Amino acid sequence: MTATVIARVAGRTVRDRRWDTLRRAAATRLAPFGAAVLLVAIGAALLAPVVAPHDPLKQDLNHTLGRPDRIHPLGTDNVGRDVLSRVIWGTRVSLVAGFGSVVIAVVVGGVLGLAAGYAGGRVDNLIMRVMDAVLSFPPLVLALALGAVLGAGLIGVVIALGVVYTPTFARLMRGQVLAITAREYVDAARALGLPGWRIAWSHVLPNATAPIVVQASLSVAFAILAEASLSFLGLGVQPPGASWGSMINAGRGYLQQAPWIVFGPGAALFVTVVGLNFVGDAIRDALDPRLRV
Amino acid sequence: MGPLILRRLAATIPVLLLVTAGVFALIHLTPGDPIDAMMAESVDDSVKRELRRELGLDRPLYVQYASWMGRLLQGDLGRSIRNQEPVIENVGRRIRPSLQLAGLAMAISLLVATPVGILSAARRNSPIDRVGTSFALFGICMPNFLIALLLIFVFGVTLRWLPISGYVDPLEEPWDGLRSLALPAITLGLALAAVITRTLRSSMLEALSEDYIRTARAKGLTDGAVVRRHALRNALIPVVTVLGLQLGTLIGGAVITEYVFALPGVGRLVVDAVFARDYPLVQGVVLLIAVGFILSNLAVDLLYGWIDPRIRYR
Repeated sequence: MTATVIARVAGRTVRDRRWDTLRRAAATRLAPFGAAVLLVAIGAALLAPVVAPHDPLKQDLNHTLGRPDRIHPLGTDNVGRDVLSRVIWGTRVSLVAGFGSVVIAVVVGGVLGLAAGYAGGRVDNLIMRVMDAVLSFPPLVLALALGAVLGAGLIGVVIALGVVYTPTFARLMRGQVLAITAREYVDAARALGLPGWRIAWSHVLPNATAPIVVQASLSVAFAILAEASLSFLGLGVQPPGASWGSMINAGRGYLQQAPWIVFGPGAALFVTVVGLNFVGDAIRDALDPRLRV
Repeated sequence: MGPLILRRLAATIPVLLLVTAGVFALIHLTPGDPIDAMMAESVDDSVKRELRRELGLDRPLYVQYASWMGRLLQGDLGRSIRNQEPVIENVGRRIRPSLQLAGLAMAISLLVATPVGILSAARRNSPIDRVGTSFALFGICMPNFLIALLLIFVFGVTLRWLPISGYVDPLEEPWDGLRSLALPAITLGLALAAVITRTLRSSMLEALSEDYIRTARAKGLTDGAVVRRHALRNALIPVVTVLGLQLGTLIGGAVITEYVFALPGVGRLVVDAVFARDYPLVQGVVLLIAVGFILSNLAVDLLYGWIDPRIRYR
């Protein structure tokens, strides 16, 4: 009885703090721009079949390397496909890769970090040394090697990037758990006889989320860049499917005759990553004003 | 300093062991049969059987790992399937362009980032600062391959000042060599410069707000002397940390840059091996890169102890 009351009170304050956080994040100068970019990208990804003016895969060999005009606002590529439509469809790939891999990393890393921080001793040692080993590979090289054995395609890339980002979240979570389990309210919950999973779920997790949310929001931008890099090298979505990285790679042979093939997806990638960075910075500033640069 | 080096070296041993296990496991993560994945359908079954035996894939996993580790300790990283040469020789031939690229990129990034970062912090909120911070944001959000294509478009295709692909060794032909490395090194250097600028600016701002800076100003030192002798020295510590953290990004960037500019470096070797499904070569090169990465991180750690004496005695 008493325990649930305490838990409910703790839960409410955490939720209130979350609203404050969102309000503060929205008040940052560049955040509205970032949020707008994110909304447009999500809209384009969800509504791609509706908003894309042309079929992204339909070739038109009579209109190859066409300049931007009213019918093709971003021009056409080397086999006459509409660049704008391909950029819009490519948004799906980028967002799925960005959010998908970070979700994997947060869940897997979070669970591993929780286990390491909670269990301590040998389990902790083993988990954290494995995480160190993963961190011993340069991220892109690890993703390349994993992508190579998992096979080319979006799923392989998402899993590979998920593995790459897992240690960051495991470390963060472990640090949080160690800091939080030393607090009095956890002692109090233990004294009340709450089971371990209950303490972890309703006391440790809600209080550990802040830095993880910050890291996750910044990681999405990096994951989108990483997916584009892997697609650029030829590992992600396979042709004729559209992803920004592979479009840029396909267009680099036509820089002189048709720079718009690279410009469309390049601009989309850059603006999305800048927008996500602003959102991430705003969330960080709102959650922890001390970290403001 | 001695005990610190030993302690750090000892700490890397378990990590190195896990890294080798991971690299070893790589080949077994392949869905289906790795030999089928490596070779086309048309290849004769006896050739496949021969390769399977040579790679030891017909033996139990722990035997495979033990013999692989045994050869590894003798410096044998295996052979490439494509050209039948040892991995070490493949890498040895490619290491020089990569090191030259990394060295030049590092030099360019420091040449750009040091003045921009210091000026941004010393003239906070001025137009210079705004240009500096915009440059940093641009460099951080712009992927390597886009910077590369932008440079190719401007300096290679439009102005035709510099070559856009190929490699000449600057140790043999200095002028042509530097020209062939110019665009790749600028590509890689700008991305790094952005991160260093950002760090240097914020650590300079922090250092400039310290009490000892007020003291230095109060005793009548010029602005330049305060910045150079008092603020900059203390602001460099976070920069070294960030340089260490950026090593992985630098290596990844080198992979992309070498790919775009057709530089025959180690990064290009990884990409080629991945797409040729030359798994022994992938394993060997990835392992070497990881070991190089661990050792450079170690070096950065030790450098940190050398710059900041407080760390040495901890």
